[in-house]
Amino acid sequence: MNGLKKFGSKIRVPALSISVALLVGALFIIFTDIEVLGGLLSDPIGALSLGIGRAATAYSALFRGAFGDPETIGKALASNGDIKLWARALRPIVESVVASVPLIFVGLGVSVAFRTGIFNIGGAGQYTMGAVGGTIAALAFGAGVTPAPIAILLVMIFGVVGGAAWAFIPGYLKARVGASEVITTIMLNFIAGQFVFFLVSNFEFIQKPPRIQPVSKELSQFVDLPGILPIAALRMDISIIIALLTAVAVSWFLFRSTRGFELRAAGLNLAAAKYAGIGAGTSIITAMLISGAISGLGGALVAVGTIKQLSPGIAGSVGFTAIAVALVGGTRPSGVVATALVFGLLQHGGSLMQVQTGIPIEMLLFIQALVIAFIAAPELTLGILKNPFRRRPRSVAK
Amino acid sequence: MTKKKKPVAAARAKTITTAPAKRTTSVGDGADAQQQLVASRVRAGLFALFTLLSLAITNGSAGVEGKFAFWVDKIGGTDVSFSVPVILLWAAVTVGFGAMAALQFVRGASFRWRLAIGLISPFLVFALLARLLDGTTANLTVFFTSTLLYAIPVGIGALAGIVSERSGILNISVEGKLLFGAMIGSIASSITGIAITGPIAGAIFGALVSLFFAWLGIRYKVDQIIAGTVINIGALGVTTFAYLRILQPYSEFNRPIGITPIQIPLLSDIPILGPILFSLSPFFYIAVGLVLFFTYMIYRTRWGLRLRAAGEQPNAAGTVGIDVVKLRYRAMLIAGLLAGFAGSYISLSGTGGFGINTSAGQGFIALAAVIFGAWNPVYAFGAALIFGMTSAATTLLSGLGVTIPPQILLSMPYIVTIIVVAGLIGRVRAPASAGRPYDQG
Repeated sequence: MNGLKKFGSKIRVPALSISVALLVGALFIIFTDIEVLGGLLSDPIGALSLGIGRAATAYSALFRGAFGDPETIGKALASNGDIKLWARALRPIVESVVASVPLIFVGLGVSVAFRTGIFNIGGAGQYTMGAVGGTIAALAFGAGVTPAPIAILLVMIFGVVGGAAWAFIPGYLKARVGASEVITTIMLNFIAGQFVFFLVSNFEFIQKPPRIQPVSKELSQFVDLPGILPIAALRMDISIIIALLTAVAVSWFLFRSTRGFELRAAGLNLAAAKYAGIGAGTSIITAMLISGAISGLGGALVAVGTIKQLSPGIAGSVGFTAIAVALVGGTRPSGVVATALVFGLLQHGGSLMQVQTGIPIEMLLFIQALVIAFIAAPELTLGILKNPFRRRPRSVAK
Repeated sequence: MTKKKKPVAAARAKTITTAPAKRTTSVGDGADAQQQLVASRVRAGLFALFTLLSLAITNGSAGVEGKFAFWVDKIGGTDVSFSVPVILLWAAVTVGFGAMAALQFVRGASFRWRLAIGLISPFLVFALLARLLDGTTANLTVFFTSTLLYAIPVGIGALAGIVSERSGILNISVEGKLLFGAMIGSIASSITGIAITGPIAGAIFGALVSLFFAWLGIRYKVDQIIAGTVINIGALGVTTFAYLRILQPYSEFNRPIGITPIQIPLLSDIPILGPILFSLSPFFYIAVGLVLFFTYMIYRTRWGLRLRAAGEQPNAAGTVGIDVVKLRYRAMLIAGLLAGFAGSYISLSGTGGFGINTSAGQGFIALAAVIFGAWNPVYAFGAALIFGMTSAATTLLSGLGVTIPPQILLSMPYIVTIIVVAGLIGRVRAPASAGRPYDQG
């Protein structure tokens, strides 16, 4: 019972944050509806109920997109093993899990850096460079050049190297000359995007023939990551398993190994850590290398396995979302995995919502921003729970 | 904000002026002086390297003619063209770099290398263009005007960054405010049909967003980087959402009254210079005015002194009775006004109105300009102009079908920023307390 209570207090703020953000999102849907706004003066109740109805439709589409349609699932259960029906019933939840894979990787990556006290917002860049590494490995060693397992291993290694190399730059600069990692990682995100653009529009080796679009060749012709589900129509490959194993490894590293302890010590109090003989510079560089390696591994696996193509915008909003994932998950691997799954559900549910109701999926970015704000200001969030109208004391340190 | 200048305050302001941009001579002891000396040696080496490089290019460009043209009276009117041997241009650049390397080595840390780079870069861009164009005529009026116009959002955005960071708030949210300013500016201008409402509404909304940021950062002591990330993500989400849901289907909300270039009487009639400098968007002249105004405000008024004190030593400032919290809120308000105003330029200057992610990272380039310009408004605007030149060169070259990967040029501002932050060509120092929350005890 005590454990349950502990768990409850741990997830109180994250759960509350996500719920409040979703509520605000609903308000946002209602009050950006031109028809609702137009009717607000003449018939406020009718307009509002129209808006609320639309928001409810949107969220029910989001729910069905995230978990699956209860009706389809019922049919599948009744069908007694019809593969096609089962594939249709399970597709949404499977796709939601697939959507959470990049978030697990990059979320874990930035968490390691955050734990060491480094604000690595270069997750997007490191993920992109990992994708570059993975793509090059797939093109060079795939399609029968080396046996498939070795090709997959090389894709992973190249991804790790690509991400780690990209993270080494800000890490080294921070450790040796004190350059702010915030600025350098933001800049490196942009450079990574331009670099991919350069690669996929200038090299015959990479660019998709007839070399008009700035995208790479189809990678599924070179390396195919094996699926893990018995139903072939559901595309869930080994990358989710690798992601979970990585989470376990990171957890062990951070909380059970000496090096991880040193990194956390450096993150909590750099001066004290130095006094205890922990090298600040080495800690920073190690943390950044590990952080970049994990993000890069994710980039390589997702580029080769899920998207199957390299393009300049491959990172999408993964970099942003991963920061939210890391902060909401309390930079703990278990929390990161759980939050990434929630955000993956939102991501895939949101895309169905966009298709069915025309509510843009970009709403999720807004929700993520709110969630980050709530998580970063727990006082604010708990204040909402207690009494939103009570004025809080001006300063805590009185 | 005190407009009246008191002699004592001014004198004090003057002494502090030198502190952030400290210039020491090559002689001196102490770790700081040593470090500066090393940095200046590195710079001298770099300049020497550039000298050798440009010497090599000079060697290889015999016989190539660089052809340039200017519009004389207005863009698209009569033009005057001239051609220079490329070898001559590169010889000039070589001599320039050589002189810079020598001066840097002899004068050490006291050499004003920022100014030198500012002086040589136009020549360098010319020479590079001439070499790359390889005989095609390039119209420079267009090149220069697009350089100047590019500096508007980046320059004003940088100013916003400077004001907030001088007060001690690390502000990475300029990008988000640009986006908000662009969207709100476009909507306001479309609804009212009055051109001036666009920039005003953009600025006001930018200020509101900025106050929200300040509220998170000051009241709840949310890490300022996280708060900035919140604004940036939120801005991208909200503006894209609103665009797809309202502005696209109901395009009457996204048909702003464009703010067209103005012809300054008499001055715009000057041949060649007129079309470049005096027929620009009114935003440009306002930007220049703002930069000069804030340079004066930051370095020469009591408000500026207090602002810098809050950014450097908030505890000391609080001890002498300055209300640091209020001052930071006000600085963020001003920064928001500036950034929102800059954003409105993006959607109001052209004909297209607002588009998805229309600021395209210019807010981050503004951040780069802040650092490159060492938190000084004039230098930052200069940096914005240099970044503008690379962007204009990219456009010009791709328009002429010259095959140089534009991605390399487009990455230049980001690469330059990393080099500057790393202190490889000269350490810049951020306001000491930027990014730290302040506890008013």
